[in-house]
Amino acid sequence: MDLHILDHRLRVTSISKNGLVNYTHPLIKLIFLRNRTRCKFFSLTETPENYTVVLDEEGFKELQPSEHLQVEGSIWLPLNVVSNGNVSSSSQAVGVTKIAKSVIAPLAEQHVSVFMLSTYQTDFILVREKDLAVVVSTLKEEFNIFREVAGESVPEHGQDAHNGLHKNGKEAIQCTVHPVLIPQNQFCVMSLDPETLPSIATTLIDVLFYSNSPKEDVTPAAAPVQELDRIKFPADLLFTSSSGELWRMVRIGGQPLGFDECGIVAQISRPLADSDISAYYISTFSFDHALVSRGSPHLPLLRGGDALVVGVPSS
Amino acid sequence: MSGSKPDILWSPHHPDRYVICDSELGLYRIGPAGSAETKAGTLPLSEDTAATLLAINSDTPYMKCVAWYPKHEPECLLAVGQANGRVVLTSLGQSHNSKCKELIGKEFIPKHARQCNTLAWNPHDSNWLAAGLDKHRADFSVLIWDISRQFSPDTSVAADKIRLSAVDVDSGSVVTKPLYELGQNDACLSLCWLPQDQKLLLAGMHRNLAIFDLRNISQKTFVNTKAIQGVTVDPHFHDRVASFFEGQVAIWDLRKFEKPVLTLTEQPKPLTKVAWCPTRTGLLATLTRDSNVIRLYDMQHTPTPIGDETEPTIIERSVRPCDSQLGSFAWHPSAQNRMVAVSAANRVMTDFTVFERISLAWSSTASLTWACGRHLAIEKDIATKMRQRAQLRYGHDTTQVWRNHLLAGGDDPQLKSLWYNLFYILFECTEDPELKLQGNKHALVYSGIKDIVKVSSGGPEVDAEPFLRSLEQGREWQRAAAVALFNLDIRRAIQLLHKGATTDKGDLNLSVVAMALSGYTDERNSLWREMCSSLRSQLRNPYLLVMFAFLTSEPAAYDGVLYESSVAVRDRVAFACMFLNDTQLPRYIDKLTNELQGAGNLEGILLTGLTRDGVDLMESYVDRTGDVQTASFCMLKGSPGDVVKDPRVQCWIENYRHLLDAWRFWHKRAEFDIHRGKLDPSSKPLAQVFVSCNFCGKSISYSCSSVPHQGRGFSQYGVSGSPTKSKVTSCPGCRKPLPRCALCLMNMGTPVSNCPGSGKSDDKGDLTRENKLAQFNNWFTWCHNCRHGGHAGHMLSWFRDHTECPVSACTCKCMQLDTTGNLVPSDGI
Repeated sequence: MDLHILDHRLRVTSISKNGLVNYTHPLIKLIFLRNRTRCKFFSLTETPENYTVVLDEEGFKELQPSEHLQVEGSIWLPLNVVSNGNVSSSSQAVGVTKIAKSVIAPLAEQHVSVFMLSTYQTDFILVREKDLAVVVSTLKEEFNIFREVAGESVPEHGQDAHNGLHKNGKEAIQCTVHPVLIPQNQFCVMSLDPETLPSIATTLIDVLFYSNSPKEDVTPAAAPVQELDRIKFPADLLFTSSSGELWRMVRIGGQPLGFDECGIVAQISRPLADSDISAYYISTFSFDHALVSRGSPHLPLLRGGDALVVGVPSS
Repeated sequence: MSGSKPDILWSPHHPDRYVICDSELGLYRIGPAGSAETKAGTLPLSEDTAATLLAINSDTPYMKCVAWYPKHEPECLLAVGQANGRVVLTSLGQSHNSKCKELIGKEFIPKHARQCNTLAWNPHDSNWLAAGLDKHRADFSVLIWDISRQFSPDTSVAADKIRLSAVDVDSGSVVTKPLYELGQNDACLSLCWLPQDQKLLLAGMHRNLAIFDLRNISQKTFVNTKAIQGVTVDPHFHDRVASFFEGQVAIWDLRKFEKPVLTLTEQPKPLTKVAWCPTRTGLLATLTRDSNVIRLYDMQHTPTPIGDETEPTIIERSVRPCDSQLGSFAWHPSAQNRMVAVSAANRVMTDFTVFERISLAWSSTASLTWACGRHLAIEKDIATKMRQRAQLRYGHDTTQVWRNHLLAGGDDPQLKSLWYNLFYILFECTEDPELKLQGNKHALVYSGIKDIVKVSSGGPEVDAEPFLRSLEQGREWQRAAAVALFNLDIRRAIQLLHKGATTDKGDLNLSVVAMALSGYTDERNSLWREMCSSLRSQLRNPYLLVMFAFLTSEPAAYDGVLYESSVAVRDRVAFACMFLNDTQLPRYIDKLTNELQGAGNLEGILLTGLTRDGVDLMESYVDRTGDVQTASFCMLKGSPGDVVKDPRVQCWIENYRHLLDAWRFWHKRAEFDIHRGKLDPSSKPLAQVFVSCNFCGKSISYSCSSVPHQGRGFSQYGVSGSPTKSKVTSCPGCRKPLPRCALCLMNMGTPVSNCPGSGKSDDKGDLTRENKLAQFNNWFTWCHNCRHGGHAGHMLSWFRDHTECPVSACTCKCMQLDTTGNLVPSDGI
């Protein structure tokens, strides 16, 4: 398997609910007018608490600092696992489940904090730039690691692994058991061809800026969207699975999780991987979210794991 | 392909049909422009071709890629890949027959929707259709569908099928289970089946090119590269593959797949299409975005990459099918180097044939050969023609002089006219003692005109009928009619035209002309006259033209006839003699002579004869054509001595002799010299070599030859049939014996009885040849260096096998000293 360190330097930010009006212009530019900006990576997730925006430094320049904008201080680098075809295709599980054991768990053991972003096409694992050396030395046994520089994949070799290990000596923070929340609403994961973006722009703007729905997520090529809103979209333009799967969300964390705690993703993904269950995993500024198939027997599994589930009926 | 990006596909089996796909599919038929079936709906593609729209199919929205079913039946079945990843089979312009009906409308749906980037039909098993899709985190990107597979409700996944619309399920034409799934968690941008094996698929994946072997799908061969778009196999060289990334094309050899064997110069704009020419090996055409040129890369001379590290040379050039920016192009599957290009906007199509580079070569015999594509042409240069004519003994027929034009190939009207005229002139000269010795112009002009008047136009006392008959036999209807008309027999002219129209393969227009002719009236201001004079200029045939010119002309003003240059000079001169008066005639003849002289038109020999004026005319003919051969023979033939002395004539003759020498036509040169000697005795060369006695120093031929100082005696020496002379083996001056032949050790002068070395030429069958050889065999031959020699026959046979002198102590390499000794005459004997 190959692990690619993508050529993006990302910032993780949050815009407060009532501060959104100040950022509509840059956000619309970043989402819809892609040729007007040099931003190559952009993700927007709406949660009841706030809007989480993950974007590269070029895009970050568009966002004016204000009291409504919270910024996590580090530079994050996205990692992407590419199975080079030599993997047996027996396991149907993909996404965070597939990499739970090979990537998530080893990183958790090395106390590397990860920020997960699942999309329709692939899963991005964001790690802090300063943790990169640790990441490389941890994963080089299992993966061929490539660093992408200007479109070319350059093999990456860990340089000074010991330094990294010492820096990350955050053994003090123990894995806590976080409460989980499973709202009743269902999600449909969709994708669209960037070329057809203009034709559904108005619908998207409507959903993004004028709805009170609890959670949405938009990335340039992938859009998990609340099921109710799906009806608004013309079916031909959006890509989804032919079986029309629906997903239930599991929110992890009762208090905002912060960025330093490690092992949260591992905590959730391990039991899923053990049972070979596919899942999407989306981290936001405050909480983490996993999406698992609706009505599947997976939710009790979670309950039986380390997590505590607090069911809250959806509004 | 969506909206702004049109693409073209040629029908794999109908060379005149293609499909343009942009937002819809349009089927076109290409045909000759301006044909009878030209309708308002045809679109011109080039000067010669036009396209007719046969059918439109807009059933499949969001098209991303199209592939044409490769088999004959069902024809015009297309697979369309859509933006949501579905693959739909559709058809164009088909009356839905039963076989096709089952397939049309069939849909192949991937588990997770995403854009379908590419489609490829398997060339071996046409039921297999490979589709390349965008990436999905949980799905495969290369799906191979079996189009013959029926929809079978799978109970385990039936619950998930709720999303399929009711219509899809009802029609039973939906397939959701691919035959093979490849490339998990990857994107596929281009696909191409490898022709070597049914189960080998080459795919341009995200960041690598991969060869999937369906016999073992867990294995794949791959190479990391950015050049993953538009993979395409060279149809002429199955291991050669082209792919591209942005502006750069990479050429791969599948036998050495680690890196591209070569990359082509990068273009500033991203490429949109790369295609191998199906009709010519190693020709790759590329198109970039927003461009109006197609770049061609000729890899004709690419050596196989094994052990060859140097980059092969590629000839690169651009062609511009039309002025507008190109959207796409497609090579014609069978017509050589032909393509149709479609503009980026407005669907403007152009039928275009790439002109092949021309390669030239001179042959050793100075003929020029050039090749263009699959055409090989030999340029018939005048030198080539002269060479051929020399071999056909052109110019050597001195009795039936006219036959020389047949020896020249019989296809040159000027030479035909020349030799016929010479024939008549010589014939008349020899027949008519008065004219025999008069070489002056007046006599010859007069002779020519008189001759033609007698034959072609005949006065009242001469019957033109035999001449008309001969023209009829030669199917020269228009000329016959004109001659009849000039003999003032309009009825006969009309009859001739009618005959011309009614005989098989006749021109029906002739009866129309006959009809027009029959309306002739000598009324000065009649409508007939007015219309004929205005409409006659549209006639193509010069004889029909002059007929109407004659009928509509003012009296004594026949310029329309006299200066119609397409009419043969002899007919015009005959006409002039009949209708011009005594003052007009010489003026006309002078004017015509000057005109023909200036143009170097050999028909003018009729007027000038072979006089100084004739030399002037021939000079401009030679200047124009370079044909010194005709000039030499012609001027030698008929003209008196002082004309041959003309330095220009001598120059032509010498040049022709040099030319024959250069071609190693030594026998022809000799024949020409003999021919020349007969006609011009002063040209006979003097003897240049003498054999002198070793003892007294006198020429040994001197006293035995009856012709002193002609030098020819020595060749006759010992050759002559006279028994007394054949025995001479001593110097006729001092009676000392002649030297001995180094081989037979006999004194020279002894006839070669039984050549020891000429066994090969001793065949009894070829007696004439043997006789000739025997004569030459007795000649004196010696080496100019060591002075050893003997009988020519003996020497020839010795040097056939040796290079060294036959005299035992002599080490002279006689044969190697002779630079021309090893050359063989190329004209035989």
